[in-house]
Amino acid sequence: MKKSLIIFCLFAFGLALVMSLALGRYPIGPADLLGLAGSLLPGIAADAVPVEVRMVFWNIRVPRILLGIAVGSGLSIAGVVFQALFRNPLAAPDILGVTAGSGFGAALAIMFFTRMALGVQGLAFLFGVVAVSIAYFLANRSWDRSASVLVISGIVVSAVFQACVSILMYLADPYDQLAKIVFWIMGSFHAASWAKVQVTLPVVVVGSLLLTVFGWRLNVMTHNEEEALSLGVDVFRWRLFYLGISTLVVASSVAAVGNISWIGLIVPHIARYLVGTEHRRLIPVAAFIGGGFLLIMDTVARTVSVSEIPISIITSILGAPFLGYLVIHRGRKGALGVGAG
Amino acid sequence: MSVRVDGLTAGYGNSPVLYEVAADLAAGRSCALIGRNGSGKTTLMRCINGILKPTKGTITVSGREIRSMKRDEIARLISLVPQGNYSPFQFSCLEIILMGGAARIKPWSAPCAGERRQALEICREVGIVELAERPFNSLSGGQKQLVMLARALHQNAPVMLLDEPNSHLDFPNQHMMMGLMRRFVRERGVTALITLHDPNLALQYCDDVVMLREGRVVAAGPTAEILDDVHLQEVLGPGILMERTVSGGRVVVPRNM
Repeated sequence: MKKSLIIFCLFAFGLALVMSLALGRYPIGPADLLGLAGSLLPGIAADAVPVEVRMVFWNIRVPRILLGIAVGSGLSIAGVVFQALFRNPLAAPDILGVTAGSGFGAALAIMFFTRMALGVQGLAFLFGVVAVSIAYFLANRSWDRSASVLVISGIVVSAVFQACVSILMYLADPYDQLAKIVFWIMGSFHAASWAKVQVTLPVVVVGSLLLTVFGWRLNVMTHNEEEALSLGVDVFRWRLFYLGISTLVVASSVAAVGNISWIGLIVPHIARYLVGTEHRRLIPVAAFIGGGFLLIMDTVARTVSVSEIPISIITSILGAPFLGYLVIHRGRKGALGVGAG
Repeated sequence: MSVRVDGLTAGYGNSPVLYEVAADLAAGRSCALIGRNGSGKTTLMRCINGILKPTKGTITVSGREIRSMKRDEIARLISLVPQGNYSPFQFSCLEIILMGGAARIKPWSAPCAGERRQALEICREVGIVELAERPFNSLSGGQKQLVMLARALHQNAPVMLLDEPNSHLDFPNQHMMMGLMRRFVRERGVTALITLHDPNLALQYCDDVVMLREGRVVAAGPTAEILDDVHLQEVLGPGILMERTVSGGRVVVPRNM
């Protein structure tokens, strides 16, 4: 990766961060932003900044931005890992049913556990992990231990959990619960809070670090099972390791903000285009780009119209054509990982 | 390092493919595995490499049984040149070759500068140093196969399995591949087992031969002694004959097929 490109990416990320802090229903001017930034230094108080601006900045804007970066990074690194494990550049992090499972958990909490603290997030996380565990267990019962059996198990589990969500939506109160379930499924950062940041951020940070440190073996795992085994990698044990960490990262991300499509699919391609497929380089770069990408998407989602647009709509509208562009213009150069052969 | 296969029965599900197979691969020699499609050549290779567990019998490498070894232990003893070579992602050739060191690199680590030097040295030996930084998927079939051979050499295992290494190669590349194999067997003392469809290549490049028919060993021993009309016809069909060339050499040809 060229130095100029690194500088451009860092500059773009910084600009997106400042824009995201400043823009919103309650805009924060440059003077107030500087005052708030100055208050981070020891010995300087933020008394000059109005108290309501401080409230918006610390209690709404900052946790939302941190959550956006964490979720974008988490989904992106999980996308990298899932694409490598399934040897498929079009694999997304929800391929094993984590999103469908989380959706069911969230719907269950919205309907029956409204008084539970972090009930939606907790049950969404739990059922996301349960869904992937069932898919893994089902695949392990087969004599064929290839990754494709795991994908089929994931499709089965996703379908069952989606049907369960549909049943809950059918039974839900149409004036209250149904809308909440639909909005949760579409994904949004409007309910971002420090509590959610405290739960999600550590999982994403630890997951990213572990996946980066153990990233080189993923290169070997992109080969078929027989080749990877003959190179000395216990494919089945390491697959469980990578899947376990990625699932925890995705489940904690989805549980915090709902379903966010496309990020986990397209960001790995952008990162791969910039730095190649070597996973020790690829994972941190994907985390950085994913964080910045979702930060920009969320800023767009809450500023382009009077009411906030669910984030998945924005990521789909921008993400799908972008993938189409990559397929048409960059595919032969290896952006999709597929070369001229 | 020698490999001994003793009383091996193996297959997939309830369908055995190999029946009571016995063979000895002597250290520092090349051995061709010859048989028709479905005769069990690849299955035997998978058993030797510890990928497929046999239902009966044993496989030992220098006296140690494969079944009792972990994956990384097997990889330190046996390397594989696979017959297909496709990567769903774009790696450089050097990155692919470095993967040969996976068994000795700690899971939390990555190839060090020494590993890279060693990989580049192997590239020079195989004659692909100019391909090192090129994307693997942009290479021709023959070049890819050389990269696979370089990866197996980088694995630095005393036993090398080559599963139909010539299946996608043109005539000159087939001979280049076999020539390199023979050179590394002689220079490095590697024990090589190669599945081949063309008995002429075995005749020209391999010290020994094991002939399989319907999962059973028909004949095994030095190539010059074993490859004759009787065994060829028993394994490959009645129309296969061994003929003398004008220069006094031998060549296997199909007749009346």
